[in-house]
Amino acid sequence: MNLEKVVFGFFVLLAATLNFGFFIGDIADPALHSPWELFAAVVVNLVATVLKFGDRTQIGAVHLATSLVANVQLIAAAVIWTYATNVGGGALSAEETAVVVSLSGGALFANVVSVVLLVIETVSFQRR
Amino acid sequence: MHQPPPDEVRVPRVSSGLTTVLRRMRVPLIVLIVIFAGSVLGLSLLPGQDADGTSRRMTIFEAFYFMSYTATTIGFGEIPYELTTQQRMWVTVAIFLSVIGWAYAIGSMLALMQDRAFRRALARRQVARKVQSLVEPFLVVVGYGNSAKRLVRSLDEMGRRFVVLDDDENRVAAVELDAYRADAPALLGDARDTGTLLLSGITHACCEGVVALAGDDETNLDVTMTTGLLRPGLPVIARTSSREVAERMRAFGAWEVVNPLDRFGNYLRIIFRSPAAYQLMIWLTSTPGTPIPPREDPMPRGRWVVCGHGPLLEELATDLREEGIDVSVVEAGGPMGRDSARRDAEAIAAARLDEAVAFVAASQDDMANLWLLEVARRARPELFLVTLQNHSANAALYRASHVDFGMMPSEVIVHEVLARLANPALMQFLPRVPHLGDEWADGMIEKIRERCGSQTPDLWSLRLVEEEAPALLPRLADGLPLGAVLRDPEDRDRQLDVVVLALMRGDDSIAAPDDEVVLEPGDELLLAAQAAGRRSLDATLTHPPTTEYVLDGRFVPSGWLWRRLTGRRLEEGV
Repeated sequence: MNLEKVVFGFFVLLAATLNFGFFIGDIADPALHSPWELFAAVVVNLVATVLKFGDRTQIGAVHLATSLVANVQLIAAAVIWTYATNVGGGALSAEETAVVVSLSGGALFANVVSVVLLVIETVSFQRR
Repeated sequence: MHQPPPDEVRVPRVSSGLTTVLRRMRVPLIVLIVIFAGSVLGLSLLPGQDADGTSRRMTIFEAFYFMSYTATTIGFGEIPYELTTQQRMWVTVAIFLSVIGWAYAIGSMLALMQDRAFRRALARRQVARKVQSLVEPFLVVVGYGNSAKRLVRSLDEMGRRFVVLDDDENRVAAVELDAYRADAPALLGDARDTGTLLLSGITHACCEGVVALAGDDETNLDVTMTTGLLRPGLPVIARTSSREVAERMRAFGAWEVVNPLDRFGNYLRIIFRSPAAYQLMIWLTSTPGTPIPPREDPMPRGRWVVCGHGPLLEELATDLREEGIDVSVVEAGGPMGRDSARRDAEAIAAARLDEAVAFVAASQDDMANLWLLEVARRARPELFLVTLQNHSANAALYRASHVDFGMMPSEVIVHEVLARLANPALMQFLPRVPHLGDEWADGMIEKIRERCGSQTPDLWSLRLVEEEAPALLPRLADGLPLGAVLRDPEDRDRQLDVVVLALMRGDDSIAAPDDEVVLEPGDELLLAAQAAGRRSLDATLTHPPTTEYVLDGRFVPSGWLWRRLTGRRLEEGV
């Protein structure tokens, strides 16, 4: 067992699961989407991105690209959330919630691609 | 043109600095993210109070903002409200942790920048990229020793581009310090490694030749073989001091093999025949702008004593004997050992120096040479002294010991390589110079000095074809003598300051053709002139109105309108 692979797989998967956890639920209902989960998703995504640094293979490059996409989307969601609650005054409106959650939905898609790549990598490795 | 490189030869990829940075920074960055996230999380979970004393926790954004200015040691001081003791305790821990995190990250980054291997990799990539992006023809010069330095300096003066490859870090650094006019990429690496050689651009479409001047024969042979296999047909000029290596180089299609020691005898023979011819040859193969070298004294005929050791000795003796000289060969000046001084002294004494006219010190060790010269001078002060000067750094020593003729291999290499690179026509012409006689060479030097000044002129070859002489070509049918073309476009009564060294027609070549020689299409001329003369001749060759004036003395306006107005036309076919 390769510890590096375990850590890598763990973070890639955790990024996707946290993202999914935040995304699931009625898109316009702020009560169903926890800011803590979004925070955790951003942090874990950042760690996953850094773990993908410096891999020169083609699949490594695509891995990094998906993570960067997920980061951009999640950070955008976090910024909008922060802006809406701190500047827009108190609670999140249904429209704002929808924007934040749909952004995280986009990030989820990138994370799913990342997981698919991970699976492909694993499968092709075993075949060799 | 040479063949393009075969498709399967790919220049190796050089690791980019960025991937290395990213890979090495993985752990520090993750540590930083974890510390930061943990601090923010803790700060936003701990209970706090606002100004009214009501319990209120920081939002994630507030905690993030607070940690951002604290952790980066900016310490903004602006906080949403006073912290509670619990929060203060947590912030204390967070500050220490984040300082460690930052120090670790920045320290790793700096260590990486200091890393020798990393910096070397960066430099290598930069040079490889520079080479790849060259769009002008360039030469690859392997080795950056004494002769390569002089050669490269001359090439730079001539406006040629080059890439230097050497395995010594100091020498590669010297390329930058030597401040050439053109940007000179210098690659650090072993030329025997094919990958490195490829990086230096031998398969680049613009590479016009390889010059292998490394210190050891093996590297030069390797470079020749690699180039011969990967880029068949690309000109390779290689230096060697061994006959066997030279043969192998030729087997791999080396264009030209320069053996400086082998040339020693040849040069002596040329001077025997004609000091002026030697002077002319050396002058023409110098960097443009070099003042005319002094003429060597005529060599005395009589018995010569050749002293030294190694295979060079016999070769030299053979060369001299072919010139009809009586030669005594003395093995001396070899590596020092027991009794070597006594044996050498005996050998030299046996050569009966008092009856000789000249003494040649041909050891490949400068100290041995100087010693041999001193011994010879003591035996007979009026001897004509000839020596091989191995290291140019020792030139001052030889000058101080008043040698009559000294040959420096590194200088020979520069002359030989320059002559070959400058233009192939020159290489056809030069070997004929010694056979034309002393008077001819003397006259030629005077002629060049008169028309082009006392500095080495530009040498170039000109082919009378559509591409190079479009305006002149149609007029050649009338039987144009050379003298009629070499007139000044400013004032056609004046002779143009250009000297024709040779005219090549098919397999024939005429050295220094006179003004009456009638030009024919396809003739190739080897010309010498300063830049101004060359420009004037170019105008005569390519600009029809100038051609008209130079040949017939007619003024033809160059514009269409003035031609209409004045009614003067260019001659038919021009």
